[in-house]
Amino acid sequence: MNGALQLGWRYLAYHRFKTAVLLASVTLMMFLPAATRLLVEDSAQALNARAALTPLLVGAKGSQLELVLSSLYFHAESPPEISYQVFKDVRDTELVIAIPLHARFRARDFPVVGTSLDYFEFRNLELAEGRLLGLLGECVIGAGVARKLGIGAGDSLVTSPETVFDLAGVYPLKMKVAGVFAPSGTPDDEAVFVDVRTSWVIQGMGHGHQDLAEASAGNAVLSRGEGAITANASLVQYNEITPQNVREFHFHGDTGGFPLTAVIAVPPDEKNGTLLRGRYLDNKESSEQLAVPGAVLDDLLETVFTVQNYVVLGLLILSLATVAVIVLVFLLSQQLRRGEFFTLRRMGASRAFIALLVASEIVFVFAASLVLAALMTWTVRAWATKLLLSLMTF
Amino acid sequence: MIRNASLYVLLTVLECCLATGVVRGDDRPVVYTSNYPIYFFATEIAGSEVDVRLPQMEGDPAYWAPNSDQTAELQAANLVLLNGAGYENWLNFVSLHEERLVDTSAGLADSLLPLMEAAVHQHGPEGEHSHVGTAFTTWLDPKLAAGQAHAITAALVKLKPEQEAGFNDRLARLQRRLKQLDLDLDQVFTALGDQPVVFSHPVYQYLESRYSINGRSVHWEPDAVPNFRQWIDFQKLLAGHPAKLMIWEGEPLPEVSDKLAQQGLISVVFDPAGNRPEHGDYFEVMENNRQRLLTVLGML
Amino acid sequence: MSGIDIHGLEFEYGGQSTFRLQIRELRLEPGECVAIVGPSGSGKSTLLNLVAGTLLPAVGDIRVGDIRVNALGETERRRYRVGQVGQVFQAFELLEYLTVKENVLLPRYIDPSTPLDADARQRASELLASVGLAGKESRRPSRLSHGERQRVAVCRALLNRPSLLLADEPTGNLDQDNKQNVVKLLIEQARAHASTLLMVTHDRSLLDSFERIVDFNDLAWDKA
Repeated sequence: MNGALQLGWRYLAYHRFKTAVLLASVTLMMFLPAATRLLVEDSAQALNARAALTPLLVGAKGSQLELVLSSLYFHAESPPEISYQVFKDVRDTELVIAIPLHARFRARDFPVVGTSLDYFEFRNLELAEGRLLGLLGECVIGAGVARKLGIGAGDSLVTSPETVFDLAGVYPLKMKVAGVFAPSGTPDDEAVFVDVRTSWVIQGMGHGHQDLAEASAGNAVLSRGEGAITANASLVQYNEITPQNVREFHFHGDTGGFPLTAVIAVPPDEKNGTLLRGRYLDNKESSEQLAVPGAVLDDLLETVFTVQNYVVLGLLILSLATVAVIVLVFLLSQQLRRGEFFTLRRMGASRAFIALLVASEIVFVFAASLVLAALMTWTVRAWATKLLLSLMTF
Repeated sequence: MIRNASLYVLLTVLECCLATGVVRGDDRPVVYTSNYPIYFFATEIAGSEVDVRLPQMEGDPAYWAPNSDQTAELQAANLVLLNGAGYENWLNFVSLHEERLVDTSAGLADSLLPLMEAAVHQHGPEGEHSHVGTAFTTWLDPKLAAGQAHAITAALVKLKPEQEAGFNDRLARLQRRLKQLDLDLDQVFTALGDQPVVFSHPVYQYLESRYSINGRSVHWEPDAVPNFRQWIDFQKLLAGHPAKLMIWEGEPLPEVSDKLAQQGLISVVFDPAGNRPEHGDYFEVMENNRQRLLTVLGML
Repeated sequence: MSGIDIHGLEFEYGGQSTFRLQIRELRLEPGECVAIVGPSGSGKSTLLNLVAGTLLPAVGDIRVGDIRVNALGETERRRYRVGQVGQVFQAFELLEYLTVKENVLLPRYIDPSTPLDADARQRASELLASVGLAGKESRRPSRLSHGERQRVAVCRALLNRPSLLLADEPTGNLDQDNKQNVVKLLIEQARAHASTLLMVTHDRSLLDSFERIVDFNDLAWDKA
C-alpha cells in the first residue's frame, strides 16, 4: 500500500478516540437521513401493501384511521364496536365476501383476533404446524407468537384480563393452540387467531358451566322450581373449552347483537365494491361507516412524507454543521502536525505525499463511515419489517 | 408367492385409491351432509356429479359432533348441507367456512316447530333463560323434506351450474316419491283419526303436526325399563290422555311392551329415520313404518 | 562516500529581518567527520538545509560527490535527499504514532522507489541492535529516554546507507552524558557506513572526536 496511506492509517489507528468520534459523527451523518428515508419508504410500502390487499372495511362511525390501524395491524387501541348483525347484513348483500373481525383482547401482549376461517384464505396464511381452528376455544398463532413464546400446536395460551381489577366479564380463557402459521412478514405473524365466538366467550357473552339439571350439580343449585333452576355463586364456570365440556358452553341473547370491531368486505370486482360503498354513502343515518384502507393510509402517508422531508432537511442542516466541525478538526489536526510535515519534507517527502497523508485521514474516515453507514442501513432494512410489525401492533 | 404378494399389494393400493377417489382422478366437488336424510336426498339429487359424504357417527346422530379430523374434512369440503332447525348443535362450537354452509331448512322458517323442553335456569346477572330451540326432525314431514330437497338442489346448482338440468330432473323424481309417501302416510294417520297416541320420545313433532296426530311424548328408551317414577308419570299421563297406541323409536324390551299391553297399549315401532339404515334407504324405512302402522291399526 | 564542495554560496530569506548567508568556500573530503561550530541563529541549520537540497541558494555551487545539488529540480532534490542524505535533527523529529522500528523505516515510507520489504525491516532491526535498542522495536518514542530517541533518529538517518550524514544540533535536547554518547555514535556509525559526516553545533565541548572543526564565523558573514 502507498507509504502515505500507510502512515495515514497508522495515524488514525494511534488516535483511536479522535478517529472513533469522527467515524461516529460521519457515520451518523450519512446513516440518519438514509435510514429515515428507508424506514419511511419501507413502512409506506408495507402499510400500502397490506392496505391494498384489504379492499373495504366496515366499522363504527368515527376515526377511519383508528379503524384501519386496528383491523389491519391489530393496533392495541381497538375502535368502537359494531354488532354482528352488521356482518350479517354485509354478507347478505351478496355483493362481497364478508369476514368478521373482533380485535380487542390480548394474550401475553399479542392481539387476540376473533374472525372466521375465510380470513386465513383471504390473507393466504399457510399452516406450518398443526391445523386450523376446529373447536371453540382453540387458537391458531402467528409464526412470531410461536417463536417468542416458544409454543406450538398442542400447547396452551391464556388470554390476559383487560385490567387488573376486571373481576367480572372479561375473564382469562385458556386456549389450546391448534396450529401455527408459517411466517408471512405481516402483522398476522404477531397475532393469535380465534373463532369470533371464542372472542365472545372471552368477553363474557358466552360461558360454560355444570349442567344444572343434573343431580351432580348439587351444591351449585340454589333452588329448583317448576321449570326453573336458580344457581348460586359456587357454580363452576369453565375457563377452558375442551371436547368434553364444549356442549356446556352457550351464549346468552341474540348473537346479532354481539360485538365486532370491523367487517372486512372483499368484493369480487370493482362494481360490487362500488355498489356496497354506495349503500353506506347513501345511508347518512347509519351508525357504521365504510372505509377504503388504501385511501385512509394515503392521507396518513402524505403527512408522514411531509414530516419526513422536514426531518431530513433538519438532518441535512445538522450534517452541514457536522461537516463544518469535521473540517475544523481536520484543519486543527493539520496545524498540529505542521512540524511533522516539515520534517517529512526535509527528509524528502513530496508535496503530493504530504497532501495524500492529510487526505488519507479524511478518506479513511469517510470510507469507513460509508461502509458502516451502508451496513447499518442494510441492517435496518433487514430488520425494518420486523421493527415495523412490532411498532404497528403496539 | 412373490407374484401373489405383489398382486395383493397392488389391489390394496388400488382399493385405497378408489376409496379416496385418487385413481378415478376424482375432481368432483365434495359435499358433506350432517345427517342421513339430508345425505339420502343429496345423493338422489346429485347422482354421480358430486361426491356426497356422511361422516362416520357414533351413537345418536342428533348428539353427534365432529372430531378434529372430521372437522378438518368439513372445512375442506366444497359444501356442507345442514338439516337446520337447530339439528346441528355442534355448529355452535365448530369453526367452518360460513359461505359453504347450506341450511336446508332456512326457507321453511314459518313451518318450524318450537321444542318445548328443558328447564329454565338462572345464574348471575343474565336472569332466567333456557337452552331450548326448535324441533329438528323435519324429514318426518314429506312436505318439509321436499322443501329441503329443493334447497339442496339450489345449492348443488350453484356449485355445478352446468349440471342444473340433471339436478332438477332428479329433484323432480325425488319430489314425486315424497309426495307419494305423504299420501300414503296421510292415509294411514287419517285411519288413526284423533285417537290419543303416546310417543316414546319427543322426536315426532313434524309427524304429529303434518298428520294431526293427537300425541303426547315421554322420555323412554327402547332398550331400558322405565323406573317406578316414570311409570307413575305415565299413569298420570294416560289419565288425561287415554292412549291405546305407543309409538317407539326402536323395538322396546318385551317386558315393557308386555306391561304396556296389560294396560291396553299396543307398541309399534316408527323408525324416525335419523340413522343410516343397515338395509335399504329412507323410503324403505318409511314404508316399513307405514306397514307396521297399518298392521296395528287393524288391532285397535 | 561523497565529499562536499561549496563555492560562493549566497542565500537570503526575507521577512521583517532579511537574513543573508554567504559562504565563500567549504570542502569536506569523502568520509570525513567535520563539526561546524557557531552561535545559535548564525545560519548553521540553513547551511545544512542547503546541502540537503531543502533550500536552494540564490548564487553559488553545492556539490555532494558528483551531484550538483543546486542544479537539481525539486523532484531530483527530494530523491537525492531521501536516498543520499541521512539527517539527524535536534528535536529528534520522531513520529509518535509509529513504533521505534517504523520510525527507523520512515524513509522507505516516504520514497515509493525504495521498497519497504523484508530487507529493509532486517536492516532496521540490525541498526537498532547496533545502538543497543534491540528489545525496544515495538515501543512508542515517548516510552524512550531522550538519548534513546536520538539513537533511533540516527538509525533512521542510516537506513538507506546515505553517503552523507547531516546532524543539526543533535545533542541540543540531551544531558551531558548522552551528548557525548550521541556524538560518539554519530562518528562511529559514519565511519562504519563510510558516510561523510557534517555536524553543526554551538557546543564546543563535543568537538574532541572530530577530525576537523570549522568555525562558522570563518565561513559566513553579514547579517543585514
